[in-house]
Amino acid sequence: MDQVTWIEILSRHRDVAHRVRVAGAEVHIGRGYDNDVVIDDAYVAPRHARVFRDETGRLVAEDLGSLNGLFLDRDKTKLARIVIDGERPIRIGHTFVRIRDASHMVPPERAGQPAGAKILPIALAAALIVLEALSAWLGETGEPKASNYLFPLLSVAAVVIVWVGVWALLSRVISGVAHFERNLLIALAAILGFSVFNEFAQFSAFALTWRIPTSYGYVAMWCILAVACFFHLRELGRSRLPVKAVAVAGLAALAIAIQTLAQSEAFHDSGRQNTAQRLLPPALRLAPVRDETTFFGEIEQLKSRLDRDRSDVRADDPAR
Amino acid sequence: MPHSLLKLVRTTGRAWLLAGVLLAVLASGAAQSAPGEPPASASRAAERIFADATPRLLQIRTLLVGAGRQSSTGSGFLVSANGLAITNYHVVSQVALEPKSYRLEYLAVDGGRGDVELLAIDLPNDLAVVRLDRRAAPFFAISDAARDLPKGERLYSLGNPLDLGFTITEGTYNGQVERSYSERIHFTGALNPGMSGGPAVTADGLVVGVNVAKRSGGELVSFLVPGRFAAALLRRVQDEKIEPQPDFRAEIGRQLGAWQAKLYRSLADDGFRAVTLGPYQAPEATAPWFTCWAQTNAGAIPKPRASVDTTNCRSDTGLFVAGDLSTGAILLSHAYARTVDLNQFQFATFLSQQAQARPVGGGAYRKWYTPQRCHEDFLTTSAGHDRPTLRVIWCAQAYREFAGLYDVAVIAVTEDKGSEALVSRATLQAVGYDDAVAFSKRFLQAVQWTR
Repeated sequence: MDQVTWIEILSRHRDVAHRVRVAGAEVHIGRGYDNDVVIDDAYVAPRHARVFRDETGRLVAEDLGSLNGLFLDRDKTKLARIVIDGERPIRIGHTFVRIRDASHMVPPERAGQPAGAKILPIALAAALIVLEALSAWLGETGEPKASNYLFPLLSVAAVVIVWVGVWALLSRVISGVAHFERNLLIALAAILGFSVFNEFAQFSAFALTWRIPTSYGYVAMWCILAVACFFHLRELGRSRLPVKAVAVAGLAALAIAIQTLAQSEAFHDSGRQNTAQRLLPPALRLAPVRDETTFFGEIEQLKSRLDRDRSDVRADDPAR
Repeated sequence: MPHSLLKLVRTTGRAWLLAGVLLAVLASGAAQSAPGEPPASASRAAERIFADATPRLLQIRTLLVGAGRQSSTGSGFLVSANGLAITNYHVVSQVALEPKSYRLEYLAVDGGRGDVELLAIDLPNDLAVVRLDRRAAPFFAISDAARDLPKGERLYSLGNPLDLGFTITEGTYNGQVERSYSERIHFTGALNPGMSGGPAVTADGLVVGVNVAKRSGGELVSFLVPGRFAAALLRRVQDEKIEPQPDFRAEIGRQLGAWQAKLYRSLADDGFRAVTLGPYQAPEATAPWFTCWAQTNAGAIPKPRASVDTTNCRSDTGLFVAGDLSTGAILLSHAYARTVDLNQFQFATFLSQQAQARPVGGGAYRKWYTPQRCHEDFLTTSAGHDRPTLRVIWCAQAYREFAGLYDVAVIAVTEDKGSEALVSRATLQAVGYDDAVAFSKRFLQAVQWTR
């Protein structure tokens, strides 16, 4: 008999926890020690299933009359027999078992990372440092102090290291590999993205008199954070990516909604939009210069807005 | 420098008791001196005037309806045989604005007390006419003349300071207050909280003014509302047979609006004069009731990296509306900034700090205003070729209670050079929208180059 069957017991994250090579036409799986593959799962019968080849040579799993039965992957229907395709595992009790034979095709060898790839995180970190330092320098109006530059850098570095460390640790625990470098890359790209967005928002608020990016900067922040989290989660394991994407997007949407509510309540309390003015050199102006008629036309429109506010607050106040 | 109004708020039970003891002493003293006796000396005159004033003088107390306790006290005086009395608007403002929560009561020198009805107010002159149940009592005559007393003439101010009891205080008439938009008499004498609304009389007992405020930070610098405004308000009440109103809010808004409209008309007539700041010309109000101060950061340590010379002008046009709302002031300021060793970006950041929008309102936001709305753009005023481009932020908020009145702030930064700029700012409290727009237009047009 040269028929070889590989029985793989999977972890919850579908990594192989245990792999058994069985030679022979039939494989018995169960909790009892008279099986070829023994599974320590209280919900598995002593003799739970057998795997054999049918007339056409396909691998087939068959229930041996267990109480809890046999399932394909996460399906809810109990099956007496399952034809094995080598990709979807079967479920016995609470355990996922993947069955493959020796002829199972594996993907071709992946090319090793070129030595230059390590330059990317360094380049990103350097870009980030340059951008932050430049922004601090251009905003400096008092006495120049080294600590004004070093301390923010230190805080950003600490946050990045802790953040990446936590993801690497999770990744190590769950998938067995830390992927520190890739997690670092994701974090740096996210921070750099946010810094660039911030600078753009400041620029557009002045040069284009377009204030939406500054007013809604928090939306961009949550979106960037969500995208970063999605990529971090992808590093933990590539299974069920759509579920992860939806979960992350949902959380981001919730965060944006809560912050929008908080901002609108803060506006209601203070009556002042918390958007700080930041001027830039006159040479950077892109927006056209208005003449008096246009400008004061806009001011007239502001009046109807104010009067609407007034009738709204008076409508809310039954005492008047 | 703020004026503090002479209304007493929050007193202790002990002070009230003290007032009772003092009152008895003063009353017995008054009984001894015969009215009409010729004054042997200044202090004899004061004795006679106080004795004369005794049946006409009142303390006006604002009571909390629920608790029946005083919330604030001021003074007042009878001016007619049918129980009309004059006091300050700010003494009765709580009743005018919140008639459901507060009511008025008077306390006479003889210990008599009773209800007080609010009939009419004159918000700009801080006066009110009230009616009480003291009929056929003697009353004060008010001088209706705009005539000037000689500076140095002795005046006697009466009232109930700090709820300690009725007092008389001697002082000197010092003419009209200069730099004040509303007419006020400069009285050199000690006015204290609680004396608001009390009369200031000449030696022959004629009311020439009503105690209203003192200058905090000064000594004996006190202010009186000229008597003719009180006479005019009283005449209006008598001629129009005015009866008590349930709510004065609409009336307050109307008087405030009319007064402010007049103020902005006179401001437009007076126009601006140009002051030179570096290469720029900036508008400064010519009206005499603006007080201007200048400051510089030249001597600051650590050495500033951009120099700033600032001028601040503030109009003396503030009006008391409520305990938590004083409004009507105009602030004009210009800051000329030039870089010392800042680059263009750093200088722009420095300018941003100079050009931050600041709170405009004279009162608590949630109670008095709608949210602030702003518009911001680059602007060139007419005949733009000889005027710098401006970046203008125009912010306004409406008054919840007073239709057609707004608080407006305009901030303009010149955008012609990266190394120097003029930051001009105008803050207008309680202004009509059209007045605010017209004022801003003239203000922005007046920012020019010196050529």
